[in-house]
Amino acid sequence: MKKISKWLLLVLTIVVTLGVTGDMNTKADSNTPATDQYLSKVKAKGELVVGTSPDFPPYEFTKNINGKSKVVGMDMEISKKVAHDMGVKLVIRRMDFDSLLVALQTGKVDMVIAGMSKTPKRAKSVDFSNVYYKAGEDLVIKKSDLKTIKSYKSLAGKAIGAQTGSIQYNLVKNQATKSTLKGMDKDTDLILALQTNKIDAIALDQPTAEAYAKNTDGLVAINAHFKDEGEQGSAIAFPKGAQSLVNSANKSIAEIKAKNLIHKQYLPNAGKYLATGKSKSAKAANSMWAYKDFFIAGVGYTLMISAVSVVIGFLLGTLLALMRLSKNKIANGISVSYIEFVRGTPLMVQILFIYFGLGLVVNIPALLSGIIAVSLNSGAYVAEVIRSGISSIAVGQTEASRSLGLSRSMTMRFIILPQAMKNIWPALGNEFVSLIKESSIVSIIGVKDLIYQSRIVQADTYRGVMPLLITMILYFIMTFGLSRLMKFFEGRMTHE
Amino acid sequence: MNNETATPVLEVKHLKKVFGKNEVLKDINEQVSNGQVICLIGPSGAGKSTFLRCLNMLDQPTSGEVLFEGQDLTKLDDKQLDKTRENMGMVFQSFNLFPHKTVIENIKLAPVKVKGEDDATATATAEKLLKQVGLENKADAFPASLSGGQQQRVAIARALAMNPKVMLFDEPTSALDPEMVGEVLKVMQDLASEGMTMVVVTHEMGFARNVADKVWFMADGYIQESAEPKIFFEHPETDRAKDFLAKILEA
Ligand SMILES: Nc1ncnc2c1ncn2[C@@H]1O[C@H](COP(=O)(O)OP(=O)(O)OP(=O)(O)O)[C@@H](O)[C@H]1O
Ligand SMILES: [Mg+2]
Repeated sequence: MKKISKWLLLVLTIVVTLGVTGDMNTKADSNTPATDQYLSKVKAKGELVVGTSPDFPPYEFTKNINGKSKVVGMDMEISKKVAHDMGVKLVIRRMDFDSLLVALQTGKVDMVIAGMSKTPKRAKSVDFSNVYYKAGEDLVIKKSDLKTIKSYKSLAGKAIGAQTGSIQYNLVKNQATKSTLKGMDKDTDLILALQTNKIDAIALDQPTAEAYAKNTDGLVAINAHFKDEGEQGSAIAFPKGAQSLVNSANKSIAEIKAKNLIHKQYLPNAGKYLATGKSKSAKAANSMWAYKDFFIAGVGYTLMISAVSVVIGFLLGTLLALMRLSKNKIANGISVSYIEFVRGTPLMVQILFIYFGLGLVVNIPALLSGIIAVSLNSGAYVAEVIRSGISSIAVGQTEASRSLGLSRSMTMRFIILPQAMKNIWPALGNEFVSLIKESSIVSIIGVKDLIYQSRIVQADTYRGVMPLLITMILYFIMTFGLSRLMKFFEGRMTHE
Repeated sequence: MNNETATPVLEVKHLKKVFGKNEVLKDINEQVSNGQVICLIGPSGAGKSTFLRCLNMLDQPTSGEVLFEGQDLTKLDDKQLDKTRENMGMVFQSFNLFPHKTVIENIKLAPVKVKGEDDATATATAEKLLKQVGLENKADAFPASLSGGQQQRVAIARALAMNPKVMLFDEPTSALDPEMVGEVLKVMQDLASEGMTMVVVTHEMGFARNVADKVWFMADGYIQESAEPKIFFEHPETDRAKDFLAKILEA
């Protein structure tokens, strides 16, 4: 999971060095009068697109409301107010915490609110609003450890988990030097790790820690007693130079503070959603059956992505294989470089690059980006399979065909490819099975595939293992089904 | 047949073929008249297959001319060559039937795809040809289920389906079990007696002696002798040919 942030950093660096992230040097502070177009653009399109990572109660989390997963929480109430004050509609985009700032810089979202602390490092790449909330740090531990763990100092030689890239992550790294630090992307994964004894404590923002403790059997929150490292608290992030948006948000925040809305209204509201977590009706709602629509939707997306990518990947692969085998030096060169390059870079970076990198030039939606990336990737692998298949056909077949007056392309179409297909069918089947599995990586850019849905169910139900088990079974059914299907066609192709 | 006055269907002039540093064909000058049956013999590696493949341009000659009905094939582009090859059937040592197609599909493929014949015509022709090679009951079999001799007869029928003017045979019986050689040679003999122009690379000296109008003996990159079979087999001129015949007869 930590890899994602590394790759994101790489993609971001590329994007930045390409010089397309706009004016990075504008110095911004809250008193600067705005001269930029950001606010007017938001007003013109009539919506404020907000990026968030909804696994951070009570800041933001998801709730199954009438069968639909909705993002709720304190930050969402603040966003509503900010959007309302701008006079536009609020649109919420979910993504991984790590992807948020990249999404902001590449214009996928107008603002990011995610219980995100204002740090000097982050302030280098984005502009922050004033701080709207500041809380201390807690540790979530098992009730049974309550007697032995009093603060982070009691955890020497033990493992502490924290969300990668979070303030708490850095606090643990800097102060709990005698403990092992385990970084994960999702709080829900951290909770699961704690419950399954992979780690001994989770460092979390205090309200979040309390929310989890309140809603998860056997867990409690205690003060972590970290030394203050000068954190400023949570603020809203805007693109660098978006002073008009910052000013507008600051006005809303000032009003929220003046009326004490966070404590009077937002936190209690969030608590109401959370409070149902342990009640009987909530238990029933948390049964996996109540989430069947999520899994069905996930399977749908995964199948759709896989099916389209298999078709495109197959056509592309055939084309690349023919180019690679052709006598034309240019076609051959293009094909070889493409295949080597795509096979030599991780699918994850390719997806991030297409979504965030290419997204700067043309705005490609996440689903389409995912399909494009998986198809392009699969094409390179399929090309090599097909090439080996074509090379495996004896040269006598070509000679016989050409001697009958069939052209080069007819020979390929009627004689070589049909035989090659039969030979490579099993290898092709493996390729497609792994495509189904690898397509799961599109969830990092927020495509609502099976993995993404199982994440939502995990977050919604506070149940870690069950959604994973169901997801695993569903993937198996899909891959097994596909390989049976391939076997069936293989049987039909066999004449001997 | 009066070979001296007939128009040459095939003619090669100063044909040369080099693979890397290996000069396989050095300077070949020969011609084939209409209806003539040529048997090309010579030691292994002499370049017989290469020569045959230069005739229908499966191999590009290094230099020289290959004239088919007076037209120099080395000057033609890919499309024109495809067109020309329709008129030159070729039969290979290893049959090279298309294993994913049935016998009749093998035969019909080129007439339908290349000549654009309709299915009924192609089927009728294919059935007639299958009968001609004695395999009318194998139309729907796949090649893998046939014996070598049967496969080679199908291959001949497949080449004939394009109604070629010349048939090139590259050791058509070398890959066969001895008991199947006869059935294939019989088909070829019938073809010859119907007047088909044929160039046959073979080690079957009996066939060369009885069926060929002319024997070409190839060695060291040249056609060393070109003579009527009776003369060639009874009075070979070159030491190379004497040597070769002695070895063949020993075996
Ligand atoms: N595609 C090729 N590339 C390089 N060398 C080749 C190629 N084809 C044939 N040769 C060489 O050319 C020479 C003649 O080969 P060819 O197959 O024409 O001989 P042949 O007379 O048909 O022999 P055989 O009786 O064994 O079939 C051999 O030395 C062979 O290695
Ligand atoms: Mg040969």
